Amino acid sequence: MKPILLQGHTRPLTQIKYNREGDLLFTVAKDTTVNVWYSHNGERLGTYNGHMGAIWTVDVSNDSTLLLTGAADNSVILWNVKTGKKLHKWDVDTAVKRVEFSPDNQYMLFVTEKRMGFQDMIYIFKIDHNSEKQSDAPVKVIIPGTSKVTVAAWSFFNKYIVAGHEDGSVTLYDWKETDPEKQVVRTKQVHSATITDLQTSRDKTYLITSSKDKTAQLLDLETLDILKLYQTDTSLNTATIVPDRDFVVLGGGQAASEVTTTSSHQGKFESRFYHEIFEHEVGRVRGHFGPINTVNVSPKGDSFSTGGEDGYVRVHFFDDDYFNFNFEY
Amino acid sequence: MNGTSWADEATDQVLNFPQVISDENGIKTVVEYRINEDGKKVKITKRIRTQVVKERVLRSVAERKKWAKFGQEAGNPPGPNISTTNVGEQVFLKLSQWGTGSKAEEEEDDPLNPKNDPSKSKTITCRLCKGRHFTSKCPYKSTLESLEDISLSAKSPDDAAASPKVSSASSVGGSKNSNYVPPHLRNGNKSQTTDSPRDKRDDLPTIRITNLSEDTKETDVQALCKPFGSVSRVFLAKDWQTGQCKGYSFVSYYEKSSAQKALDKLNGYGFDNLILKVEWSNSSN
Repeated sequence: MKPILLQGHTRPLTQIKYNREGDLLFTVAKDTTVNVWYSHNGERLGTYNGHMGAIWTVDVSNDSTLLLTGAADNSVILWNVKTGKKLHKWDVDTAVKRVEFSPDNQYMLFVTEKRMGFQDMIYIFKIDHNSEKQSDAPVKVIIPGTSKVTVAAWSFFNKYIVAGHEDGSVTLYDWKETDPEKQVVRTKQVHSATITDLQTSRDKTYLITSSKDKTAQLLDLETLDILKLYQTDTSLNTATIVPDRDFVVLGGGQAASEVTTTSSHQGKFESRFYHEIFEHEVGRVRGHFGPINTVNVSPKGDSFSTGGEDGYVRVHFFDDDYFNFNFEY
Repeated sequence: MNGTSWADEATDQVLNFPQVISDENGIKTVVEYRINEDGKKVKITKRIRTQVVKERVLRSVAERKKWAKFGQEAGNPPGPNISTTNVGEQVFLKLSQWGTGSKAEEEEDDPLNPKNDPSKSKTITCRLCKGRHFTSKCPYKSTLESLEDISLSAKSPDDAAASPKVSSASSVGGSKNSNYVPPHLRNGNKSQTTDSPRDKRDDLPTIRITNLSEDTKETDVQALCKPFGSVSRVFLAKDWQTGQCKGYSFVSYYEKSSAQKALDKLNGYGFDNLILKVEWSNSSN
């Protein structure tokens, strides 16, 4: 397969995300622009300009009308996807590391970083779909208080919020609970190092975490039981679940800051395909010349994209071999 | 950032307005005359076939394809812009049961790894090439399968002679796991009497295979001759420039009986659309 290279960023990619139908691809990087691309041919539809710092995270609503971005300029911006216009800006105390719309698009969560004397927090805001103005008052604020939160996601039916921590633990929060003591439903120590990415399955009943401890794990979203463990030979930055095949895709690599010299071969900058159930590596795709920071599979299941430390986004369309492959067991 | 790459901008002087001729098959022919960098007049003919590929998409997706560009892309024409979108080099995603790279191999060797179920992985051996995959997935299936029949029929008359040899070799080889048998231990130490490798080579029974096709590789010959007995040496005459086969090959066996068997069976055998001719190599006589 011949990948499409998207060169819309000048700094390392931080997150990429397909919309629900898989026709649009949103990319954010440590520069200040948000790009949106047509995924089928790599044509750039537009850019969202307005952030003043590195953008850490992006999410798009189910109907592809609203876009949410969180950045290191201590703000979250809500955009109109079609026009690129800024709809609202929320200012918080520290950098925003993760944003996500709830499955019903009524709420959104922001994860802010623990820095400069401020606590790390998970803010929950309600979206007002009927008026132009959005409320600046959060519906709820969760203050984890333990290890720093790095990533978070919504569960099925907005029921829980699941968060990954710097110490490798995963916590399930009942965010509707008003008493902060009772908000934590359960906590499990699943990794031995920082959790770098946390992505849910399409129905949001299970999730995959990737960690610097060179493993990725598939967890049940309600019980947080470890369902599967994927072991690799390099620290992982990202992991995703392929929607309609039994695969997971992991990305990572040795960061340039951790070594003196890194060639693309030694650096292990490949996206790795593992069998979701048998935990077996089934294939690799090379191409990036820096660690892979973020990976996402199109909801259609026909392509996947990776964003690297090298500033490129590579969109790969699977060829016939992929669709004809059957794991024999 | 403008829409075209600097490499695409023509430096040549265009002499005529391009002539466009469309034919009934939908092929457009564009004829242009230009003066190139060397001052020569050149005619450029481009044949373009336009194919309309229809794709069904969701209404919402179709709607979004009509959106106007915005931000830094505002006002740009439709279609991918070369300054931001490129096609990369071909990459491969080869999915396989047994994983990829060195890591997977290490895993298989590690008996302590719980994931590595030995009862399962050890038993899967290809009947044709002895590789670790199912026979139906053998990459040499087409070449070896037809050979298997004839080698089986070749083995049956002197099975008794062949089997003790195999068992003796493996017992001398030591540990039951290793398939490797050092050359001096093969064939019941028979060849210990020979002094230098050169003498040994000359002594070995050698057959000459001719009428091989140009595309034949050494591995093909090896695969062809292996079923008749252990092969000591395969020489395939190749053109030094093109690397293509010159049409003949010498194969030495450790035992005369296996060479004889190969000669009997392969002479007149159809290989790659050609009928092979096999005879004794002169030097061994």
